[in-house]
Amino acid sequence: MLSIFRNIRGFMMNSWLSKAPEQIKLLVVVVILVISAFLIIRPLLIPDDFGELGHFRTGALNDAVAIEFKYAGRASCVECHDDMTEMLAAGYHKKLSCEVCHGPLAGHIEDSDENEPSFPRERTLCPVCHEYLSSRPTGFPQIVSQSHNSLKSCVTCHEPHDPAPPEVPSECSACHGEISRSKAVSHHMDVECEFCHTTPELHKISPRQYRPDKPQNREFCGQCHTKNASNDTDAPLINLATHETRYDCWQCHYPHLPEAR
Amino acid sequence: MIMEEIVQHLTPLLDEVTGYIFPNEIELHWGLLVVIYPYLTGLVAGAFILASLVKVFNVKELQPTYRLSLLTALAFIIIAPLPLLAHLGHPEKSFEIFLTPNVNSAMAMFGFVYAWYLMAVLLLELWFDFRKDLILMANESRGIKKWFYKTLSLFSKDISDKAVAFDHKAVRVITIIGIPSAFLLHGYVGFLFGSIKANPWWSSVLIPIVFLFSAIVSGVALVILLYMIITPLRNKIVDMICLDKLASYLFYIMIVDFSLEILDFIHRVYESEESIKILASLVQNRLFSSLVIMQVLIGMIIPLFTIAGVKTFKVPADLRKLLYFISAILVQVGIFSTRWNVVIGGQLFSKSFMGLTTYKMTFFGLEGLLVSIALLIMPFIILWMLIKILKPWRAEDAAVAAHSASQ
Repeated sequence: MLSIFRNIRGFMMNSWLSKAPEQIKLLVVVVILVISAFLIIRPLLIPDDFGELGHFRTGALNDAVAIEFKYAGRASCVECHDDMTEMLAAGYHKKLSCEVCHGPLAGHIEDSDENEPSFPRERTLCPVCHEYLSSRPTGFPQIVSQSHNSLKSCVTCHEPHDPAPPEVPSECSACHGEISRSKAVSHHMDVECEFCHTTPELHKISPRQYRPDKPQNREFCGQCHTKNASNDTDAPLINLATHETRYDCWQCHYPHLPEAR
Repeated sequence: MIMEEIVQHLTPLLDEVTGYIFPNEIELHWGLLVVIYPYLTGLVAGAFILASLVKVFNVKELQPTYRLSLLTALAFIIIAPLPLLAHLGHPEKSFEIFLTPNVNSAMAMFGFVYAWYLMAVLLLELWFDFRKDLILMANESRGIKKWFYKTLSLFSKDISDKAVAFDHKAVRVITIIGIPSAFLLHGYVGFLFGSIKANPWWSSVLIPIVFLFSAIVSGVALVILLYMIITPLRNKIVDMICLDKLASYLFYIMIVDFSLEILDFIHRVYESEESIKILASLVQNRLFSSLVIMQVLIGMIIPLFTIAGVKTFKVPADLRKLLYFISAILVQVGIFSTRWNVVIGGQLFSKSFMGLTTYKMTFFGLEGLLVSIALLIMPFIILWMLIKILKPWRAEDAAVAAHSASQ
């Protein structure tokens, strides 16, 4: 140790440093000490397996593997609850995993008595997906939870494993919330949905299989909007023969909110 | 249980969501602590740039604030990384970024920018500037205090005129290196945001430059406030020539800063990229009070017109002081809002460009308001300790005492 100090001292005495101001000499010593300390300590602090596979500790992979599983996966649930999972697989919630609602269940698989799944009855869980949001796709069942049977738990009326509505919805707005809300503030507010869309009754039960139709030609809108149309509304009137003949009406006018541009 | 907690936590936020946002955007991941980080680093860079005006550009009028600026920069840079460490968790691992540098990580490289600025610029400049005082204080003290000052002076002894002249020269050289370093420090913070190309609110080449100038604005305003508070506490009179000069610099830099912000705004509007509609909605709804009212009106236009008014009309000294003081406070509010609007604002809109979410601040907890207030107070406590230890006005006080004794 002493010899190191002697060497440093000797170096400082014999080199240009001996003529340098005192401040520089002191700072050189400090810098040398800091850098040496860093170089000595650094290898001690870097784990041996660092950098073997990349910019990380190889052992970190084992650490990640050792993390306790919290979720068991739907396949584990099927083993005991096949009745429920069969019902789930046939219904609208067929793509949902059991643990979306019942919470992580790895512990339940290990010891079903000790670790009960959660059975959420609060009205907060279902609206995460089913609260009305203008950007959710039309046809996706959406409610305004504050006005939708606000004192009842969702599961009172809806079986979550087969969540078909308890009764066939009488209003189109039950599923087509965005359209009905847009239409409600538009000039078409009094036009019934069925006026433009012929809707098979089965659409209410199997909406994707039996679809309502849509007006296919300009003449349909012309029933109310041509100059010779016989209606008593203040609907804007056009001449179908001259008004933008290359386009269908819906290409420029959104029928559910025709004043939108 | 976990599911229920998540639902309980997210449900109130869901009420605030408008339009369509992706599920992982409902809750903001960068909260108040990440707002404080650029705010504090900005103050550091700004205070240092002010100090450099004295040494590099020979602005003699600002001499009374030179040491105060340097110590302010030091006090704030010591605390500047703490909000990040608190936000990331595991502060005990932070030194690892120095052991195994990851050159691909902009954030990891910030550690080196920070270390360079702290060790090679600030501490070195302070050491050269205070070296003679430290030796004298060591000579005047006894016991542990003597050894404390001796250690701080690195056991230096030479206080000859030649050695002191060398100190002055060294300070000047370090300051010249320090200016680009200070620019690098805060420009880098801006770069961290500006280089996130997935976020149109942040991704702009102007962001580092806007950050830098807003940093200088906030640093100058902070030194004005500190100078006006500390001087009366020392039973001294505020040097109006110095204060006027500080206010002038604040005024000019604010004009540059404001012009850059307007340039950024015009650039975005003229480019009108696909994000422009959601950004317009963001500014008109979620950020209206914090951006239009706080940042632009209260933090920029009112102080600018106030200082312009003071410069145009003959205003008595006392009123001038009051107006400068109020302006400096408003500037602080404005720059804090700037940081808020960048960090929080950038997370309030969806990457789908179709919806907005909201930020819910907590009071307790590591990410809460209480910790943030504590982090904002800590630099002032450190500054107070530094002033107590280093006695920056020692020579000045001694000269005044000697002068009054001779009378």
